[in-house]
Amino acid sequence: MVNDASVTDDGLQAARQLLAAVLEMEEADIADDAGIGRLAGWDSLAHMRLIMAMEAQMGATLSPGNVVGIGSLQDVATVLSGGEVSVTGF
Amino acid sequence: MSEAENQIMSWRPGEPLQLETERFRLRSLTPADATITYVSWWNDPEVQEGLNFPARGWDRDRAIEHISQFDNKTGFHLGIFCKDTDRMIGFFAAFPRPGTKVAKTNIVIGEKDYWGKNVVQEVRARMLTFLFEVMGMEKVKGEIQGRNYPSIFNYKAMGFTCEGVLRNDIPRFDGNGRTDVFVFGLLRDEWESMKAKSPSDG
Repeated sequence: MVNDASVTDDGLQAARQLLAAVLEMEEADIADDAGIGRLAGWDSLAHMRLIMAMEAQMGATLSPGNVVGIGSLQDVATVLSGGEVSVTGF
Repeated sequence: MSEAENQIMSWRPGEPLQLETERFRLRSLTPADATITYVSWWNDPEVQEGLNFPARGWDRDRAIEHISQFDNKTGFHLGIFCKDTDRMIGFFAAFPRPGTKVAKTNIVIGEKDYWGKNVVQEVRARMLTFLFEVMGMEKVKGEIQGRNYPSIFNYKAMGFTCEGVLRNDIPRFDGNGRTDVFVFGLLRDEWESMKAKSPSDG
């Protein structure tokens, strides 16, 4: 889940670059709606690498809500832009 | 229907349990399964980190003591064996509570060459069927420490809801501060809905 309004095209592209690097795939193969269960290669270990790469890039530990909430390219873009993704059930 | 599936039809609480998935066979562990490999998982810092424990320093006797505490009624400790090689690669623990109809579960893949190979989701899907359909549970939940990203991924991918964050709930195993605990849950109707959409997962 994500607040799409906070994601710019540049933010989405930055997220796509990071996700492509983590998954070792071409950026062009990552659709705007890519996410867990919708992108081959986004498995449990890739998810761990993604979170760690995001923390390294941001120079900060992700909030608990973001750790749990990240599940799509849009979510990655939101968090990299300084936003928070919401999590159903909180 | 496979032999294991036939066995589950006649299974009674307290008896050893055996289940099958496409690639794996799950069965209740016995003291004879406290092999060098099994003991090594408890003493591997990398494996234990996901559980927020340091290497345990267990020997075979301690492992047998652990295995022996599961009664196949309110506690299950199932080894995960590859069907093709009979190699044990991890284990799944489940604690169904008849009074509340809530089961807690956890899983450890000890053999690292099986990390990232979708073992957890395949095995947990079969266990969910057992817990909901055979044990009559209304909810299955898991609690994981906040830096266990692969586990978070697997719960999310299987449709569990993160019901809450217990902030700084436990000390880190390495003494370096405290860590959050995430609580994930799946309700019976949510599971039934997902199963209806992809019946092969059951």
